[in-house]
Amino acid sequence: MASSSHSNPPCAGCKFLRRKCLPNCIFAPYFPPEEPQKFANVHKIFGASNVSKLLNEVMPHQREDAVNSLAYEAEARMKDPVYGCVGAISVLQRQVVRLQRELDATNADLIRFACNEMPPATTSDQFGSTRSSGHGQGAVDQNSGFYFPYNNDHFGDGHEGGEGSM
Amino acid sequence: MTLKGGTSQACAACKYQRRKCHAECPLAPYFPPDQPKMFANAHKLFGVRNILNILKNLDSDQKTEAMRSIIYQADIRDRYPVHGCWGIICQLRYRIWQAEEELHAVHAQLEMYRHHYQQQQQVTSMTDDVPSQLELGIGMAPPNNNSLSLFNHTPQQHQHQPSYNNAPAAALPYTNNSNSGTYMDSKDNVAHSMWIQHQYATATNNINSNSSIPIQPHQFVASQSLALQQQQEVVHDYDEIHPFFDTIDDRQSYIDSKEAYDSSSEESLKDTTQSTEHVAENELKSAAACFSLTSVN
Repeated sequence: MASSSHSNPPCAGCKFLRRKCLPNCIFAPYFPPEEPQKFANVHKIFGASNVSKLLNEVMPHQREDAVNSLAYEAEARMKDPVYGCVGAISVLQRQVVRLQRELDATNADLIRFACNEMPPATTSDQFGSTRSSGHGQGAVDQNSGFYFPYNNDHFGDGHEGGEGSM
Repeated sequence: MTLKGGTSQACAACKYQRRKCHAECPLAPYFPPDQPKMFANAHKLFGVRNILNILKNLDSDQKTEAMRSIIYQADIRDRYPVHGCWGIICQLRYRIWQAEEELHAVHAQLEMYRHHYQQQQQVTSMTDDVPSQLELGIGMAPPNNNSLSLFNHTPQQHQHQPSYNNAPAAALPYTNNSNSGTYMDSKDNVAHSMWIQHQYATATNNINSNSSIPIQPHQFVASQSLALQQQQEVVHDYDEIHPFFDTIDDRQSYIDSKEAYDSSSEESLKDTTQSTEHVAENELKSAAACFSLTSVN
């Protein structure tokens, strides 16, 4: 019988699942035994078998990135079971829209200055509701007021398309 | 699989699992039968059991929201198997950083224009004041010391070079190479997270109609270090306008204004010499008047 003293300690995945950590364990390189919570989160949200299938579908050099992104999403879903990491996407997308509007207004002021026109006192509200391009996929849910980063009509609700109002 | 004697179809979840779709099927409201791919993605990432676990402790409104986010997350993972939603977050953070840098640069440029404009206004107002004071004979200082002080003004305008922050990230060319980057912790600065797959970058165009920006790590680092350097060393050479401001040809306008300023300053000096002559003449006249009065008394 092989001595277990020479074998590597089991990875966090195999430790959690209480199984033997084989040398070709797919989890071993990415779930070190020092980070048990990482695997616990991923397993709770996605399941070990799903993670294993996902890792087998990507190239070996991309697996670390894949595991870390899954770990991030799992942790986000643990903290926020309703929106998970999609909540962060929504917040960031609103920020992008807001910044783009501000940039459009400020650029317009700059052009006016370049043409030697009188400067306005304030710049941010001069342009009113300047719609920026390229962000038309978000929508505000009528019921919850949550700005979804996409327009999802899957459930047949009559959500508005286009940009959501913040 | 259809229900016995029923007209309604089984939901996509039950269809996929090849089982009977009961009236109380918890997933039926969220997975219509005509969109099998949606459930397939969700099932691949989460699995039915895990989805039901997530929905277990939520009320009905929250369930709807949760399912939407689950479906979205699964869809993103289907498109971007390696980075998923984390890749979207990185891209958004980068866009925010880029927009903020651009905004700082534009604000700096705007401030420079405002300052320039204000100084022009001051120069204009000062040159307007000179003839009025001469006409009224007001504010005549003793000729020896301060007659010229009224007309002294230090032309500082030409010394004030415009300074602006560049937005190198906006100007550097980006190449479309496939690469894999390193995973960054969510708390890390976006400036260091730059791994974007080739297929991720091109596919992102489908999600966001804004063009995605695939970048190579070393280019981004170089651009960032360049940005930091340029922030520390304020550019004072007005001719080296950053390509970002190519659309605004302010070199010519600056040269025109500078020429205008120079000519106006020359004119003001001429006015100064002329006014001093006038002052001397008036002084003599007033002195003569005093003498005549004195002699009468």
